[in-house]
Amino acid sequence: MSYSERHTSAGPSPSKAGPGGAGLEPGSFRDPESRVFYAGDRVYRALSPDGLADFEALAATGLLDDERVVRTERADDGVVALGDLLVHQPAGILRHERVPFVSYPYEWPFSMLRDAALLQLDLLLAALERDMVMKDSTPYNVQFKGARPIFVDIGSFERMREGEPWVGYRQFCMLYLYPLLLQSLKGVPFQPWLRGSIDGIAPGQMRALLSFRDRFRRGVFTNVFLHARLERRYADRPNQVKQEVRRVFKKELFVSNVRKMRRLVERLAWNPPEGVWTAYGERNTYTDDDTRRKEDFVREVARARDWRLAWDVGANNGRYSRIAAEGAATVVAFDADQGPVELLYRDLRGEADERILALTMNVADPSPGLGWRGLERRSLADRGRPDLVLALALVHHLCIGANVPMSEVVDWFASLGAALVVEFPTREDPMVKKLLAPKREGLHPDYEIDFFERRLGEAFDVERSARLQSGTRVLYYARPKRG
Amino acid sequence: MTTVLAYLDPGSGSMILQIIAGGLAAVAVTAKLYWGRLMRFLRIRKEEPEAAKAETARGTDPG
Repeated sequence: MSYSERHTSAGPSPSKAGPGGAGLEPGSFRDPESRVFYAGDRVYRALSPDGLADFEALAATGLLDDERVVRTERADDGVVALGDLLVHQPAGILRHERVPFVSYPYEWPFSMLRDAALLQLDLLLAALERDMVMKDSTPYNVQFKGARPIFVDIGSFERMREGEPWVGYRQFCMLYLYPLLLQSLKGVPFQPWLRGSIDGIAPGQMRALLSFRDRFRRGVFTNVFLHARLERRYADRPNQVKQEVRRVFKKELFVSNVRKMRRLVERLAWNPPEGVWTAYGERNTYTDDDTRRKEDFVREVARARDWRLAWDVGANNGRYSRIAAEGAATVVAFDADQGPVELLYRDLRGEADERILALTMNVADPSPGLGWRGLERRSLADRGRPDLVLALALVHHLCIGANVPMSEVVDWFASLGAALVVEFPTREDPMVKKLLAPKREGLHPDYEIDFFERRLGEAFDVERSARLQSGTRVLYYARPKRG
Repeated sequence: MTTVLAYLDPGSGSMILQIIAGGLAAVAVTAKLYWGRLMRFLRIRKEEPEAAKAETARGTDPG
């Protein structure tokens, strides 16, 4: 078992290069009927004869025009770019719309994974109505454009065969249902589990994580306890079972199982702790002089030109991400804490935002490359560079909180190759004092404003700076040195 | 033809579960139906309107 690829999207570093600089998407090889490749900044998909027949059936249903599905068109001229990258010449080529920034389920807060799960189930139900199915069910087939989920794997749709059960059911459990249950029943964040295993949580493992009491919760007994037991019992009789199942399985049963799953997922909930709500709300309304100065500073930079991709690192409630979005086509708002990211996502979803992508990520421990050769899921650094970076209320957390030397932090900023808005809270700042309090006296001698300014000046051209009213925070706007 | 067509292994136990889960739903519906009949038989629950009408026509005490 395992999944298909996939992300339609950003970024270079393909595994192999074709004639026109084309390259195969390294995360797209599991499904032999369809393979993603890039040529220039275009995203294509090469289809086998079977894959093409499925695509034509899909196109006839009208589902391709559904706005929940990635924009797709036939583009057989793409075959020139493909060259001989594949063993067999493809029967057809598709071209997809690009997603501005690729993200993965281990970077999503609870509600994003839940919304992706609902999208997956709704599309499956829509497909079933048209006598089609989806051959897998992985959240890696869903990408977000701002707060809007989009299904990107056209190759997942295929014509339905008589007596076929829901093939993606087990995968749905492992990558959607169990992670959601883990967080909603146990309060355990699912992200480290998904980042730790590309295939998700196996039924037997999930069962071991739940208590006796949990089996009385809705959907748990069947989908976890019974599932784990049956899996163990029938593990060594796959062919026998498959033939028997195909003999008795009916489409009505398929549809009713998917509907039941949808009702279950719809009811799953998780809320951040009380304190997160309070802080989130306060920061949205509370405006003092410092905040206003900071907003103006960021706004001036944001509007100075058309930015393609801005990162707001340590975005918290997204206040400055929203300002950045005034001048940037896409803003990725990262925060190490899932709580505010969850609340920000809910707000953005309510506003039908398509520009700000809220992700949970600790930049002191960012997403690595995962899967086969470490290339199936890209590392953060490998997913398209920003041209503007906001690092507000971040440096002290990295230097003091995560013990990263000051020079390293500035080097990392410089490695992004982007314009930078950075805030430096001095040692007199209350938050810095709080971070230093539990530490031994004399630690972090490099955390000094003079040293920071020298290092920043070596790596960047500092265009302007401003000390905030309170006097303990300084803002800088810096541009990367040329050459 | 009974070849396995999916590139993804659906899992034997997972397939059986789908039949049982569907079956459980069927059993639940049937059980509910019989439970209702039993309750009416024991006169614990009132007759449903339709049934009640029919019963009244035959002169039974509606309860």
